[in-house]
Amino acid sequence: MAPVTLRKLVKRYGALEVVHGIDLEVKDREFIALVGPSGCGKSTTLRMIAGLEEVSGGAIEIGGRKVNDLPPRARNISMVFQSYALYPHMTVAENMGFSLKIAGRSADEIKTRVDEAAAILDLGHLLERRPSQLSGGQRQRVAMGRAIVRQPDVFLFDEPLSNLDAKLRTQVRTEIKKLHARMQATMIYVTHDQVEAMTLSDRIVIMRDGHIEQVGTPEDVFRRPATKFVAGFIGSPPMNMEEAVLTDGKLAFTTGASLPVPPRFRSSLREGQKVTFGLRPDDIYPSGHGLHAGDADAVHELELPVTITEPLGNETLVFTQFNGRDWVSRMLNPRPLRSGEKMRMSLDLSRAHIFDGETGKALAG
Amino acid sequence: MDTNASHRLRRRLLKAAHFVGLFLAMAVICLPGLWIVLSSLRPTVEIMAKPPVWIPETLSLDAYRAMFSGAGQGGVPVWDYFRNSLIVSVTSTVIALAIGLSGGYAFARYRFKAKSAIFLGFMLTRAVPGIALSLPLFMLYARTGIIDTHFSLILTYVALNVPFTIWLIDGFFRQVPKDLAEAAQIDGCTPWQAFWQVEFPLAGPGIASAGIFAFLTSWNEYALASQITRSVNSKTLPVGLLDYTAEFTIDWRGMCALAVVMIVPALTLTFIIQKHLVSGLTFGAVKG
Amino acid sequence: MKLSKLSAPTLLLLPAFIVLAVFIVLPLMFSLYSSFTPFRLTKPDTLWVFIGFRNYVNVLTNAEFWVAFGRTVLLLTIALNAEMLLGLGLALLVNKATRGQRILRTAMMFPMMFSPVLVGFQFKFLFNDNIGFVNNALQSLGLTDRAIPWLIDGNLALFSIIVAEVWSSTAVFAILILAGLLAMPKDPVEAAHVDGCTPWQTFRYVTWPYLMPFAFIAMTIRSLDVARAYDIVKIMTDGGPAKRTELLWTLVGRTAYGDARMGLANAMAYVAILLSIVFTVYFFRKLAAARQQIGAEW
Repeated sequence: MAPVTLRKLVKRYGALEVVHGIDLEVKDREFIALVGPSGCGKSTTLRMIAGLEEVSGGAIEIGGRKVNDLPPRARNISMVFQSYALYPHMTVAENMGFSLKIAGRSADEIKTRVDEAAAILDLGHLLERRPSQLSGGQRQRVAMGRAIVRQPDVFLFDEPLSNLDAKLRTQVRTEIKKLHARMQATMIYVTHDQVEAMTLSDRIVIMRDGHIEQVGTPEDVFRRPATKFVAGFIGSPPMNMEEAVLTDGKLAFTTGASLPVPPRFRSSLREGQKVTFGLRPDDIYPSGHGLHAGDADAVHELELPVTITEPLGNETLVFTQFNGRDWVSRMLNPRPLRSGEKMRMSLDLSRAHIFDGETGKALAG
Repeated sequence: MDTNASHRLRRRLLKAAHFVGLFLAMAVICLPGLWIVLSSLRPTVEIMAKPPVWIPETLSLDAYRAMFSGAGQGGVPVWDYFRNSLIVSVTSTVIALAIGLSGGYAFARYRFKAKSAIFLGFMLTRAVPGIALSLPLFMLYARTGIIDTHFSLILTYVALNVPFTIWLIDGFFRQVPKDLAEAAQIDGCTPWQAFWQVEFPLAGPGIASAGIFAFLTSWNEYALASQITRSVNSKTLPVGLLDYTAEFTIDWRGMCALAVVMIVPALTLTFIIQKHLVSGLTFGAVKG
Repeated sequence: MKLSKLSAPTLLLLPAFIVLAVFIVLPLMFSLYSSFTPFRLTKPDTLWVFIGFRNYVNVLTNAEFWVAFGRTVLLLTIALNAEMLLGLGLALLVNKATRGQRILRTAMMFPMMFSPVLVGFQFKFLFNDNIGFVNNALQSLGLTDRAIPWLIDGNLALFSIIVAEVWSSTAVFAILILAGLLAMPKDPVEAAHVDGCTPWQTFRYVTWPYLMPFAFIAMTIRSLDVARAYDIVKIMTDGGPAKRTELLWTLVGRTAYGDARMGLANAMAYVAILLSIVFTVYFFRKLAAARQQIGAEW
């Protein structure tokens, strides 16, 4: 049983504070992803959990035990590094068995456990090689193997896929997911790639500038982003967002164009309130070319000129000019389009998001 | 077509010039040494001959035989000098390496106040000219009675070698990714174990080269040794070389032979370390 | 345990601190003190007589000292510049070589590993007016019929010393600049070719800026070690003929051990130490700046 709890966790380098008192409860056997842009403090947080960075304030508990001042070796964790950090002077088998050797286990036991892990990861034929003789993907698997052999309470991953090419990344992503199902251990996974976070984790922690913006399931953070930042960070292509002021019961944009207030928000918005309006590309589509699930009366139609298109095969991203800016939308069952062609676009306002103009927090509808 | 031809001609000329230049440079670098080796094998008459004899008529190892047969020709106790040099160089290298290891590791792995100032300070101690340092050391050692002993020379050479050893070892540890030591700690190592199991083996070849470099510095040092060694007790080879110079005459052949004895270990060791030495010195520049 | 209260880096640096303090800094402080006394080796009591700055006044008003000082600076200027240029040339030549690079590289390092004493002796032998290789060669080739007094004429002696010095230390520049050439990314040079740069322009604006930090590392290493010229001069001419090749360091040695005037010699030594320190700090700064530049660009 190894839940991980962060209480008011702070990291300072001299006068510079990079993690500002974050709170987080990771449940036992949960897969949690920390995502955010570089410099948001996600890696620092992970390294504090690992014991590689000193804690400047607050507390870290692993399995109900405060570990603030324990060295990494006393925390029963294992970690997969971005660079893999394989020991170049040891063979694959030695790399994987190193932690057991240090712990003074017998050669037989080490061999059994290394072989077990190698079988899981399909590394059996590589055991006698050195890291320098392996491909990137193989090194990555060895790094995971080393983590498995230790049978830790908590697995930590520090951007483990960022050195792999796109195809391999998808493949290893699946392997990590299988591994989690099999190991039944708590896993904390740092990444800047929202697709990894969405596909792998039970819950996602979105961080920004040393604060937690939102914690929630992939569904939560996608459907109900708590802040403008989360809305812009999760989802690809990103949500269309535009500042607006509530004028005469309409959302008036700065250039003069306007949209009706989405039904959900009609009662909660005040006249003159500054807000940010957001709509995902999935919820804008050429009329007749989208998947529409919301209320029929919440769909607002507009005649808009096409600027460019990005065909992806099964769908096409269509950029249309509205309010002086390109709005990206998804077109399913695409047909060839010309630039400048006028299209009838459907905006599904039942799926719209409204954020407070000042705080950036999502408004409840 | 014409311009193509002229460019081709130019390229050939450049190639020839490059070859000639390289050949001349290597000749200048290698000839003096070869001349000394040759001279050590020739009889003195041939060295002194006027007009010069270019093609040696007889080659013999007489000079070496004389040198190593104890107080042979000229009575220069080469064996003693050789032993002194070896004892002093090896001992001072081992100590300097131990100190350099801990200091170099501190510079490579920790952040602390005034780091670059301390580094510069260490290097500046190396910048003190040997002859200037020899004055106070001479006075101090004479007073404490440890002048003309291995002990005093060893300690001096340790101090002389520490700065540069630190520079090199710092460079080698920086080449070992920090991740590896961290991974080792997560795998259950204490920092001490992580150092010896992971970082030390990886920086090993570099550390060995730093050791060899320190050894050569001690092996070759003259300015200090010439003042704080007095007799067979502690005189080293570079100081001993001067035994072949009398007031007006020089035993060229004997000197050449001793020079060869001095340079052979140095060159052998250079072969071994050349690659690592350069990478240790330049690491900071490549990675910023 | 008091020791464990110290931070790790302090603890690790402590041995180095102690050794350098005891065997370098402390002796230097002692010699600083003795430079304010008329200490002579032959009269131990004189160590306790304090004479203020009289030694320094003597040194700084001594023409012989200034001549030696000027000659030292001149020798270093010529030698270091020559070493830099030749080292660069050598590095470029070796870098261009298509075969046998490893052997060339090792051969290039040979002179660096020669003890300065050996270098001095070797060139004393080569430049010997009677039996030396240089004169023998010149005479055999018929370029001159009389023996050129390489080490006997003052100016020629200084020239011979510079040759020896350059021979022994060009390697430092060559290996480091070569390391720079080998580490240099190919793309910028190729881009320059495509952009229409002549070979010279490519070198001047692309290659050389990248090599600078390497040249400065070499300069720094050399400046840590400029006094090794002492050994060479000591063997080749010992300051002669008629003090025409006297350098700061040989003058210090002669005053201390020849004339046994330790106090005075220590005062001179301090000037020499200062000279070395200024050299080193200057190049160290340059090095740090150059490193930053490279770090920013690559």
